[in-house]
Amino acid sequence: MAKRILLCDDDVTITSAARYKLAQAGYDVQCASDGLAGWEAIQACSPDLLITDCQMPRLNGLQLIARIREVPLLAELPIFLLTGKGFELPHDELKQRFNLRAVLDKPFSPRELLKLVNQALAHEPVAPSP
Amino acid sequence: MASGARCPFWPRPMESLRFDPFTSATTLMLATTSVVLAWLMYRAQRRVQAARRYLMSVCDALDAGSPQEELLPSPELANAGDGWAHLLRRVSRTLTDHVTQAADAEAARSTLDLRCRKAIFEQERMAAIIASIPEPIVAIDAYDEVVIANRSAEELLQLDGRAAGSRALENITRCERLITLFGETRKRRLHGIRSEPIELENAQGERRWYNVTISTLAADRPNPNDRRGGGMVAVLRDISDQRELQRQHAEFVSSASHEMKAPLSGIKAYVELLADAPDEATRESFLEVINAQSDRLQRLVENLLNIARIEAGVVRVSKQSQGLNELLSEAANVIQPSADAKQIALRYEPSPLYLSVLVDRDMMLQAAINLLSNAVKYTAEGGSVILRSRLNDDQVIFEVEDTGVGLSKEDCAKIFNKFYRVDKDKNMAPGTGLGLALAKSIVEEVHGGRLSVSSTLGVGSKFTVILPLAGRGNNSTP
Repeated sequence: MAKRILLCDDDVTITSAARYKLAQAGYDVQCASDGLAGWEAIQACSPDLLITDCQMPRLNGLQLIARIREVPLLAELPIFLLTGKGFELPHDELKQRFNLRAVLDKPFSPRELLKLVNQALAHEPVAPSP
Repeated sequence: MASGARCPFWPRPMESLRFDPFTSATTLMLATTSVVLAWLMYRAQRRVQAARRYLMSVCDALDAGSPQEELLPSPELANAGDGWAHLLRRVSRTLTDHVTQAADAEAARSTLDLRCRKAIFEQERMAAIIASIPEPIVAIDAYDEVVIANRSAEELLQLDGRAAGSRALENITRCERLITLFGETRKRRLHGIRSEPIELENAQGERRWYNVTISTLAADRPNPNDRRGGGMVAVLRDISDQRELQRQHAEFVSSASHEMKAPLSGIKAYVELLADAPDEATRESFLEVINAQSDRLQRLVENLLNIARIEAGVVRVSKQSQGLNELLSEAANVIQPSADAKQIALRYEPSPLYLSVLVDRDMMLQAAINLLSNAVKYTAEGGSVILRSRLNDDQVIFEVEDTGVGLSKEDCAKIFNKFYRVDKDKNMAPGTGLGLALAKSIVEEVHGGRLSVSSTLGVGSKFTVILPLAGRGNNSTP
């Protein structure tokens, strides 16, 4: 069974590019257009990995991650943070604070993203279906 | 006269008036003595009068001012050879010396008095200048006692001037940070000027940032050998607005970079996907995305540049008197296809009057298009957008009213800020967050008009542009 990835970004171009690349590699890719939709999708589809943008309507990326980390079952969910913000967000501090697998600056490379996703999910068991 | 007769003035008989040698000699001697005495008295009186006249002339001369040359006694006194002239000249010289000294002392006193008045005036003027300076200023002496504090300093630092017995800084203020800064400057024997930003609560209870500049006063030392150092002056400058501007600038740069990174990310990602695309159709679709994202980036850069040009005052403006209705009609035509695509009824209700406005046609057209485009974007399918114009006294008004999602009071206050987009509405339509900011700059900064918004959440919004009427409008229909 294909591992499930949830893409959360309010920019359709970004989600469509990442979705295409990851789907081509055989992943089951779900998309959400803002933080709140992402939170609902996590509960609905139990992804194996979350890739989220930082600046989003309704619930931003960091708020979404904080909410996820409050749930014991989701404490170890692999999360990638995509960010268009530059100097404001120190990557190491963010990774440590929110237990993130990667922080990627925009513009990002879909190939690099796929490589990181493959590495992150290589040893992850497939999440149970909802 | 008969013998025995008596003279009524002479008691003795006339017969007794016979020549007596003894009596005659005595009488002569007496007469001579009398004459000599009278002459001597006359001379003495003449000298006294001469002396008096001399002293009077000396006094008159002194009254008239210090005489340049010594006055000499009259020859009568000078030739007398009895010491009067010498005595009088001595008296005259002594008097002249005393009067001259008194005049010098008076002049010195007047000069001193003038200097004192000048010093007092200078001190009062300096105190008035320091008091009038809006920046808080506080000066302390070598013993950390406050010697000068203007009203602003008293208010900000809550200086308690009535603190009993002491003017020591630490006793009359609760501003620990300032006390520490003065202490550090003294302890490290720092000379010259040092500055540091500190946060303080002002008299209104607001927390604001101040740049404290402490200058050491090398001359203000009670003892040059005292290692303690001299007095210090602290000037506190409110830098809250400057910090806020810096914050806004940093936020603007952050927002601009974020907004530019979005299309750039799309382009970069799709260029990479393009290289790996399996077939021509996929490549075509990817190229379309790249093209659309390039257009988006171009629009963003152009809008940013337009706003920057207007704000910097370097935009080339070509204002001409023209009819507003025609211009608005053109803007409506540009937006009509977008409205049709969403089945939005775009109605244009122009004023029946010819509304003459002095505007840069391209810029005002851009502002009208931005307002209409914004209304169409945030109005749901089947809604309506009305564009109307009217004359109000000497002002021309045009409005864009929609039945869209509306704005909260908080959003209304921020909707013209650069890059501000209402979070919940972001998914309704793409946008740069610069369209309304640009429209406002065009209307207000370029044309001296006014652009405002009134809105009810869930009901709709109305954007109103007010422009001054150019010349006199006539009643002809457009």
